[in-house]
Amino acid sequence: MKKTNFLSEYGALVALVVLFVYNAMRHHGTFLQVENLRNLVSQNASVGVIALGMTLVIIAGGIDLSVGSLTALCGAVCILVVNKFGAGMSPTMAILLASVSAIVIGALAGLINGAIVAYGRVAAFVVTLGGLAGFRSIALVLGNGGEIRSQVPALGDFGFGGVAIPFAKDASGGPVLFYWSAVAFIVIALLMSFLLNKTRFGRYIIAVGANQRAAEYSAINTQTVRLAVFTLLGALVGVASVMVGARMNSVGTGSVGLYYELDAIAAVVIGGTSLRGGKGRIWGTVVGVLLLTLISNMITAENIDTNWQGLVRGVVILVAVLIQRGKKENE
Amino acid sequence: MKALNGVSISFAEGEVHGIVGENGAGKSTLMKILSGVQQATSGQMLLNGQPVTIHGVKDALKRGIAMIHQELNLIDELTVAENVFLGRESTKSGMLDRAKMVQATEVYLEQVHAGFPATTKVADLSIAGKQLVEIAKAVASNASILIMDEPTAVLSDPEADSLFALIAKLKQQGTTVLYISHRLVEVCQICDRITVLRDGVWIETMDAKGATPASLANLMVGRSLQDFYPPKAPKPTGEPIFELIDVAGAGLAVRAGEVVGLAGLVGAGRTELAEAVIGTRPIGNGQVKINGEAIKIRSPKQAMKYGIAYVSEDRKGLGLHVSLSSVQNITMANLRDYGVFAINGKKEQDKAQTWKSDMDIRAGDLNAAVSSLSGGNQQKISISKWLEIQPKVLILDEPTRGVDVGAKREMYTIIQKLASEGMACIVISSELPEIIGLCHRALVMREGRIVGELEEEQLSEEAIMHLAAGVEAH
Repeated sequence: MKKTNFLSEYGALVALVVLFVYNAMRHHGTFLQVENLRNLVSQNASVGVIALGMTLVIIAGGIDLSVGSLTALCGAVCILVVNKFGAGMSPTMAILLASVSAIVIGALAGLINGAIVAYGRVAAFVVTLGGLAGFRSIALVLGNGGEIRSQVPALGDFGFGGVAIPFAKDASGGPVLFYWSAVAFIVIALLMSFLLNKTRFGRYIIAVGANQRAAEYSAINTQTVRLAVFTLLGALVGVASVMVGARMNSVGTGSVGLYYELDAIAAVVIGGTSLRGGKGRIWGTVVGVLLLTLISNMITAENIDTNWQGLVRGVVILVAVLIQRGKKENE
Repeated sequence: MKALNGVSISFAEGEVHGIVGENGAGKSTLMKILSGVQQATSGQMLLNGQPVTIHGVKDALKRGIAMIHQELNLIDELTVAENVFLGRESTKSGMLDRAKMVQATEVYLEQVHAGFPATTKVADLSIAGKQLVEIAKAVASNASILIMDEPTAVLSDPEADSLFALIAKLKQQGTTVLYISHRLVEVCQICDRITVLRDGVWIETMDAKGATPASLANLMVGRSLQDFYPPKAPKPTGEPIFELIDVAGAGLAVRAGEVVGLAGLVGAGRTELAEAVIGTRPIGNGQVKINGEAIKIRSPKQAMKYGIAYVSEDRKGLGLHVSLSSVQNITMANLRDYGVFAINGKKEQDKAQTWKSDMDIRAGDLNAAVSSLSGGNQQKISISKWLEIQPKVLILDEPTRGVDVGAKREMYTIIQKLASEGMACIVISSELPEIIGLCHRALVMREGRIVGELEEEQLSEEAIMHLAAGVEAH
């Protein structure tokens, strides 16, 4: 009786596969190289990790516009901590401490966002719009308006470290590393997918997003649930900030994380999660992140003026939403 | 699965045509096709002898077919007048002519005896009030065919009476009214002809003069419905396990195994009373006692801890997550039992299957969205969800609203069974026969206060109505 429209359900995945095959055929020499595929996953891993947390926030009926600015703030904290303790202890310990600091600051910021949304009953859009302006400002203060450079080279090495991919050799015969950032992206995606689909917390997220009052009447503490998703997203922003900071071995407080909120929301929406809440999927967001990465790489590879990139993204987002709307009418 | 199969019916001009059938019989589908919400896969519709195809609600309206929905389709943030004129606003030199719209709306509101002005925000109205606005809106469209889907489900008796008067008037003006209702008494009363559907198949169209509620009920279920109300659970004695003190100006006490009715007109404050008990509304100076011990409840979660469950009248808005599956709804309040962190999926599925057979839930796939189920089956899921927490006190708010005859009877049996097993049940109902047929005792509310208590032998429609309407001085 119920028709499930294949394209509206798996449209983003189909688009990803089609573009992948197209690229593989057109650039058969380079596209399928292990390094290139690795880059595809790791390139936007930081936005990806944020998008995973954003998926949960959006399913719970919220939104978070502050994640980009928060990335800069957490990144700044990360570098400052690593610089302060880098001389006094082993680099590994310093990096660990810096990472934990960044994640804690991120979680705290998320907690504040979530508390105002859940207990202050202010719309998430407005609260996090405040965060968008505020967190960036704190980051700029920490960085005196500019870049904070790491004095611990080990942090930069960490950014380019990873697990050796078996059997793969680069041009000079060395091992090809699967970067830690990509590892983190995949592991966190699996964790979030488990959290959403197999745990009580995940079920409550869906219930709160689908119908908050019905959730409350079902003896669910809806405020705690909303507080928790924002906090979790904040912590994941902390993780993403460490990836970015390590990769550059520095954080430009004015430039890092710019438009991350839009990229993350775009990936979530392209992946088929409803902006109205109550319905969504983690794997869709992963597809959304990869699709956006692939498209921007293609624009570079085809020597198209990169100024066109924004337009292409915009069209992709709109098409994704239109297909989803078509699905709703079919139901 | 076909909702409707080879049904052919004709409707005459100026006729009130009743359409009855159990939930899932295809009434709503038929009406959706007529009003253009849904398209028929085969067959045709003749309007004044001409074959027509209706593309959407707007097209239907243009052809003079208007529908009053069972689900209310009003915009909460707009006023009554703005809703009534939505999409066809009066204008004066390009600007909205508010005064004219308000004035015209007042006339329609008067016809349905609504006691509120046209400038009221819809959000501030009760469900009954919203229903009256829906009716006014449909009447205002000057349709020649008016479809009413369960219009009296949320109305009190006086409100329903004024609706019947309005229908009689429309009929005189030549309007055809298609009247869908589960309330067979009123169908026999106000209709000229009645069509019975069962499982999407046309059973009979008859003259209303020869029809009785009993004969209709038999046709609808295809079997004889003799004792509509099952025998009551044995009347318990002993101390009450649940008490309200100084709530709604009086008190209320329920023993284990007792079914206590809460009667009154729509808007008398019965739902508000229940919500005060479960902590979604302030209780004022009132006190709740469980087993003689005073407790404080600030949220449904705390109410649940004390074993108090509330099955809401508003299934779609508060009682269920209609976009989620039956399984997910059944375990929603008791999810902790399926794992503190990870959910035991198998246990969850098994338990849902148990409820499905225990409650005779007719759902093809328990993992499909609840929105696809009929009202009766949704209600069974809503009750299962609360029985899951093994409550001591069960508050059922209009448990048979929007539920068909067969499922109604099942609901009564379930309530008596729960009571005989020792559950303290409070049944809020606007249907007087239901209070009388179901309860050991009833309290009557009026204007937010409990105004009287009737023992089983005192229960009669007159006695309840007198208290509910405030005819006798108290």
